[in-house]
Amino acid sequence: MAPIGVGDTLPDGQLGWFDADDKLQQVSVHGLAAIKKVVLFGVPGAFTPTCSNQHVPGFINQAEQLKAKGVDEILLVSVNDPFVMKAWAKTYPENNHVKFLADGLGTYTKALGLELDLSEKGLGIRSRRFALLADNLKVSVANIEEGGQFTISGAEEILKAL
Amino acid sequence: MASALVRRARGSAAAAPALWAAARGIASVGSDIVSAAPGVSLQKARSWDEGVATKFSTTPLKDIFHGKKVVIFGLPGAYTGVCSQAHVPSYKNNIDKLKEKGIDSVICVSINDPYVLNGWAEKLQAKDAIEFYGDFDGSFHKNLDLEIDLSAALLGHRSHRWSAFVDNGKIKALNVEKAPSEFKVSGAEVILDQI
Repeated sequence: MAPIGVGDTLPDGQLGWFDADDKLQQVSVHGLAAIKKVVLFGVPGAFTPTCSNQHVPGFINQAEQLKAKGVDEILLVSVNDPFVMKAWAKTYPENNHVKFLADGLGTYTKALGLELDLSEKGLGIRSRRFALLADNLKVSVANIEEGGQFTISGAEEILKAL
Repeated sequence: MASALVRRARGSAAAAPALWAAARGIASVGSDIVSAAPGVSLQKARSWDEGVATKFSTTPLKDIFHGKKVVIFGLPGAYTGVCSQAHVPSYKNNIDKLKEKGIDSVICVSINDPYVLNGWAEKLQAKDAIEFYGDFDGSFHKNLDLEIDLSAALLGHRSHRWSAFVDNGKIKALNVEKAPSEFKVSGAEVILDQI
């Protein structure tokens, strides 16, 4: 599957999420993103350094600015199970807006065409690092990193595009 | 791999469990754990930086089991309920008793990546007592027939909840829960009686 790009429609898929009441839910991407402006960003792995120390904090810290510019949802997706995503989310007590969604079996990442084989690092098939802006499911910005870098997929670039 | 399982659960005649176990063909008491999973390595729980420094090296099973008395337990997932609240603490709290009985290492293994496992082990403050290893692609558990499909819980293929006493690679005792949510036979107290 070719990687998702500008002009494409965001595919639908089921992601796992422990909601505010600590209930495990399966949420549909279309359910979260239809008729809304959403930021969807992906990381290779919970509890790994660039993801934890740079990529995620960027979106958490800029969440208010993103919301002020009309973003309704900020969705983080990673190929991890929902328990791990919940534990990882807990390490950011200051987070108010970013939803930590679990693509436990990697199905949604594959639907986006953004899978990355990190088996030799002990991670298996994961997601590339990316950030998308979608307006009513239509992708208007698609910043997808090559390899493990963190250059264009941060919150700043999305803010610039809004 | 339909070998009969002899499970020495404390005080009970293991009739029903043996039937169930035979149907599942689990690795049995008396078999060699290293030969049961040829060419398989595990990944020691570590931070990413440690991974880079060691060039993401893996640990072959023989390095873990040969010449040692090992108690090893497997569980479905880091950061999940029974695993965090009961299974790991059971071994952490009994580490002295296990060492007194001559156990060289207590190992926790699960189908998670080594970084998630490291974060979890540190959170549980269990890294001093227990060595955590990730079977990130499930090959160790697949070979031992200890895998279970938990895709319904978005966990994918994971490990059963189990424990074993392995002496120089030979499985001397093996306990597998009937369901991963149960915690009856795979705790430290049971295996202490079996060493």
